[in-house]
Amino acid sequence: SAQGNVPSERSPSLCILADSREMCSGPEVLSCLRAGHGLRVQVCSLGSSDYIVSNRLAVDRVLQSELQSPGNRNKLSQRLQRLQGIFERICVIVETDRVRPGETSRCFQRTQHYDGVLSALVQAGIRILFSSCQEQTAALLKELALLEHRKDAAIQVPTEPEGHGRDLLNFYLSIPNLSYGAALNLCHSFGSITAVANSSVPALAAGARLSRPQAEELHRFLRHEFDLQLLPQPLPAKGKATAPRS
Amino acid sequence: MTAKANSPVTAGSIVVPLGHVIGNEKWRGSELAQRLQGKVRLIFEDGLGLVDFHLPNRTCILLISEADLVAGDEFKRRLVKFRNASSLRGIVVIEKTPISDQYYLGVQKLVVLELGMVMLPVANQGEASQLIIQLVREQSRDRGSNPFVGGQRARAAEPAVLQALQRIPGVGRTKALLLLQRFGSIHRLCNADSRELEQAVGSTVAQQIYTFLHS
Repeated sequence: SAQGNVPSERSPSLCILADSREMCSGPEVLSCLRAGHGLRVQVCSLGSSDYIVSNRLAVDRVLQSELQSPGNRNKLSQRLQRLQGIFERICVIVETDRVRPGETSRCFQRTQHYDGVLSALVQAGIRILFSSCQEQTAALLKELALLEHRKDAAIQVPTEPEGHGRDLLNFYLSIPNLSYGAALNLCHSFGSITAVANSSVPALAAGARLSRPQAEELHRFLRHEFDLQLLPQPLPAKGKATAPRS
Repeated sequence: MTAKANSPVTAGSIVVPLGHVIGNEKWRGSELAQRLQGKVRLIFEDGLGLVDFHLPNRTCILLISEADLVAGDEFKRRLVKFRNASSLRGIVVIEKTPISDQYYLGVQKLVVLELGMVMLPVANQGEASQLIIQLVREQSRDRGSNPFVGGQRARAAEPAVLQALQRIPGVGRTKALLLLQRFGSIHRLCNADSRELEQAVGSTVAQQIYTFLHS
């Protein structure tokens, strides 16, 4: 079943959500996914991850050079920690940096920091894949989408709601730790926000394709008793009281 | 011991102390072993089967050399055998060189996507030793200090609830606060009737909100 060109693998139109920043930072990934692999790629403002491949899997694309020095570590760890609150599975694709025209291929000097980051990612249970170019990254994303489709986790709802659906999607997207895919599922599976608010945890899990803990978190959020005292004051920006930014 | 020597993985019961590595006898005297020595406590043992190095926390390393990759599919059978026989967490460290590069994607697909194991590329034995040293250090560390393990900080939901209500057309911050002070939660707001909503925000907006929440 691992061979390509099995008819059943071609019939479903696999869908991947891509963050809008990828139009600049990974244009070849997007075009290979669409033209080369025939996937449906919906570009949207994901914010949290570069790609969403299924109802439970998020993929971040990281350049090898970003793992070489400690400079980027905080950014990466914040990003991945946040993803862990939203998705059951996270995968990082480590892509070899592109050699710019006129630049000679730089020899990759593996640092201790690089090995440390890989070790920590392994220990954190984050899946790591290696790619040597954007085209390979696209092929890996397709493989992941295919695998998730086989596990019945593929995104199978319309990804571009219109009109009132658009407004509903925006409402759902403001819910903490709810993925873009789960928000789309809510739009599709429930008749209204009221229907969502009145649903049980199992009904939310089934309708939004969420894990039990995630569905519980959503349920809690919808019933959260608002306390004005717990609202941070809008001004000045928190933690910046002594150093106002212009 | 002879029975053990025939099974693919024999060290399932070996508890490797933190900071230690148990190496397959076949690596004794190799460049890799020399580079590990002094950085980790390396002990050699006979009959580890398919495993090259045992690390703490039921983790082990299987090395795939450039020569293995070029030689054909024997190493794949080894990996599948390991995967079927062992409950240890296997990390495949693979030599990715200009010569073996062409095999990489195929092997990655097998190991990571199909067998569900970890696979990390290195350029040579020197890099392999550096990587193994870091893996051992990470295994010896407290999980709480892992920068990628999410510390589930409990954050107040208030700003998010307020944000959500402001996504309702016609509702800004002021009206959202009015609604929340009156109804308390999104759930209760959803179950308020038009008249209750009107008392909070006036009839036009109340109608808009009601329609938005119920359609």
